[in-house]
Amino acid sequence: MSLNKISIKIGGPAGSGVFTIGLLLSKYFQRAGLNVVYTTDYPSLIRGGHNTCCVRAENEEINAEVLNHDVLVALDDLTITEDLKQLNKGAVLICDTKSTFESADYQVLKVDFDKLLDGMDKRYFNTIAFGCVIGLMGEDGDMLRDALATHFRKKSQEVVEENLKAAQVGYDFAKEFCVQNNTGFLGRITKTQNSLGNTVFMSGNDAACVAAVKAGVKFVGEYPMTPSTSFLHYMAAHELDYNITTKQTEDEIAAINTAIGASVAGVRAMTATSGGGFALMNEAIGFAAIAEAPVVVFECMRGGPSTGIPTYTDQGDLKFVINSSQGEFPMVVLAPGDIEECFEESFNAFNLADILQTPVIVLLDKHLAASHFTAKRFDTSKLKVDRGKYINLSDEVLANNKRHEFTEDGISTRFNPGQPGGIYTSSSYEHDETGYTCEDSENHVKMMEKRFKKYDAIPKELLRPKMYGPEDADLTIVGWGSTKGVALDAIKYLNSDGLKVNYMHFVYINPFDNEEVKSMLDSCKDTIILEANYTGQLRDIIREKTGFYIEKTYFKYDARPFYFQEVYTKIKEVLKK
Amino acid sequence: MNEEIKIEDVNFVGGDNLKFSLLDLDSKHESQWCPGCGNYGIVMAVKNAILKLGINPKDVLIVSGIGCASKFPHYLKTYGIETIHGRALPVATGAKLANKDLHVIVVGGDGDGYGIGMGHLMHTMRRNINITYLINNNEIYALTKGQTSPTTPKGKKTASTPNGSIETPVNPMALAIGGGATFIAKSFSGDINHMSDTIARAIAHKGFSIIDIAQICVSFNPSMNFKWYKDRIYNIDDLPDYNNKNKSWGMIHALESQDDKIGIGIYYHNDDDRETYIDDLPEDEKLSLVRQDINDIDIENILDNYE
Repeated sequence: MSLNKISIKIGGPAGSGVFTIGLLLSKYFQRAGLNVVYTTDYPSLIRGGHNTCCVRAENEEINAEVLNHDVLVALDDLTITEDLKQLNKGAVLICDTKSTFESADYQVLKVDFDKLLDGMDKRYFNTIAFGCVIGLMGEDGDMLRDALATHFRKKSQEVVEENLKAAQVGYDFAKEFCVQNNTGFLGRITKTQNSLGNTVFMSGNDAACVAAVKAGVKFVGEYPMTPSTSFLHYMAAHELDYNITTKQTEDEIAAINTAIGASVAGVRAMTATSGGGFALMNEAIGFAAIAEAPVVVFECMRGGPSTGIPTYTDQGDLKFVINSSQGEFPMVVLAPGDIEECFEESFNAFNLADILQTPVIVLLDKHLAASHFTAKRFDTSKLKVDRGKYINLSDEVLANNKRHEFTEDGISTRFNPGQPGGIYTSSSYEHDETGYTCEDSENHVKMMEKRFKKYDAIPKELLRPKMYGPEDADLTIVGWGSTKGVALDAIKYLNSDGLKVNYMHFVYINPFDNEEVKSMLDSCKDTIILEANYTGQLRDIIREKTGFYIEKTYFKYDARPFYFQEVYTKIKEVLKK
Repeated sequence: MNEEIKIEDVNFVGGDNLKFSLLDLDSKHESQWCPGCGNYGIVMAVKNAILKLGINPKDVLIVSGIGCASKFPHYLKTYGIETIHGRALPVATGAKLANKDLHVIVVGGDGDGYGIGMGHLMHTMRRNINITYLINNNEIYALTKGQTSPTTPKGKKTASTPNGSIETPVNPMALAIGGGATFIAKSFSGDINHMSDTIARAIAHKGFSIIDIAQICVSFNPSMNFKWYKDRIYNIDDLPDYNNKNKSWGMIHALESQDDKIGIGIYYHNDDDRETYIDDLPEDEKLSLVRQDINDIDIENILDNYE
């Protein structure tokens, strides 16, 4: 087994602390200087069922989950039944002594958790399991203590001490096992400096939240819905430090409408939801657009239709979001593909919403929203809040009352209730320049044109799909959103196999740069599109906008993310033909 | 920023010390309401209340939903938001939270407030956010031409209930007392003085105030005309046991007030009922959110947590 390259799967019933083990291991590997991908798989229930998580760590850049593991931590027998097939030959299985499982194919480390707990609170058994994994690597234990102290930094000293004790017990036990059985260790993790420099380890939702704080969001209205709920938790947890009024509203309709109210009153406002909640928000999206109220909506996709499979991933809401609300209006829809993009594009979303004075939807999916990745620590020094044409209320300048004034670029100067001189009404009705209801056809035409003209304010380079890999590739993988991770890993390995494959990544999907995308696709030798949905929604959009039809497809609608091996194998097959 | 208004300080006779005049509040827009509509009187009463309180019109935000009553913001020269059907309260809540210095007045009809927006009403009352809600209650859907509303009397024949409504109407005063509003009143669109006074008191009240205004609709509910109301209206202030600081008293009289006997007046009000929503916010609200600087927010210590 190679050093500094490992994948660990942990499984057990909900409520047993499966994810704590995964997160502790991730923290350990991050602090050892490795890149980490941490993914979870769990059903929609609180106790029981089958929860798993995977921790993949390597020296090199990695972006996706793999299907073969070096260690399986089985907190119940169901995990052995379900997940053993994913273990590499010679890998280690850690399970309870009560398990009857025996196998010559694997090294089986049976842990008497009850005995090792020795008076400790029962809930520390997952920390023991964490200690066991680290013990198998035979390292000296400093990094283990460091990872624990970091993970529990917000807890009391007592909790940290108890966890350290439990981890030490597991660690000693596993080390002893290796010596006694002369089985050898998994391989020592050598602490190195990550080539990225300082790293962060966070989920897509975390990165988006951090960006929202940086962007100066002042109001958050949200109703809990998996997998967007962590936005609510995160922003509420930071409401005191950053003066962010975070409100759990009675429903998603109220969530977006409070955000729109706050926006009209002049603050940066946001909401977050998933498909079902977004369906409820639809009417208000159009309202924000016609009232020219900036608002940022994070939509975290999960498996549908309807309640669907709520804790699993999917890319099935793209066309729904793009076509949301009645009538036609400008709206930006963007889908970040990794942690850096979650951060950068969420920050951009707030600027764009203000500059264009219209809704911006940030589309995530459960895989990116809830999985954790290491990334280069964000450079925030160049980020500037840009509120566009905006009169600050504190400036007390006298505004005119033409809040929706016709201008060259379609963008009118925005000012808020309280501003002297500038009285107007923000209306969901078509209106004249002062916001007064106007059903005159000539005015309506001018207003429609004014609103759509605002698209021109989006920098062209933002709309351009990003290319990764060799320019003269024989095959171009096309994808959007969280597909980026697995596509990047796949092209890296395919290219090292001597195949020439690159990746075209869409972040901005609405508006769409028809000419640029067409010319980029025309210059590809061959294309295949990857989407985590049934109908190929981006493929349809590309065809609609450019006439370019991507014939080769890999659509995955099992509500699980694309795994590295799946994409790698598929592309190899396609290239063989 | 505005000084806090106390109702005791207000000269309700008006005239001498008014800072603004009716002209300052004139939007100069020609009304789209029917001649004889009760909304004319309600607009006048809101103007009177703003003038009596000496509020600068630029600091007033009128938020409405959709419906006849919701055309309201256009007929006063104040800031306004004409939202979507039933959603005026959440929009108003967001605006008030963003800028607590605004005087936020929400106006809508009975369909907007007790029908499609009922869910928001319950939660806004519960929150005791310091805004005023006027429900122009004509007991009919008028803009869509005469369907039954949540306050339409049982048995009434409408376009959507040609054989008579079989639903029990909402009792707004009882609903508001149960919902936790801290200023609850009923008024009548035919009584400008009563409306002006009640609305001024509602705006000055610290907490969520709701006024259900019995409103004449000459086009779609012509049988409930001025005379019909005059024959049934009594003033609850005149009751011998008058005690509107007591919720139980208010509830008893709310339940007594039905279509054959309509009590106007303040059913319950108490500035000390409980803290307002904004006063209870845990974050530092000394400065309205809209006045806080959002340039160069330092997030390095947040990022440290992810290292």
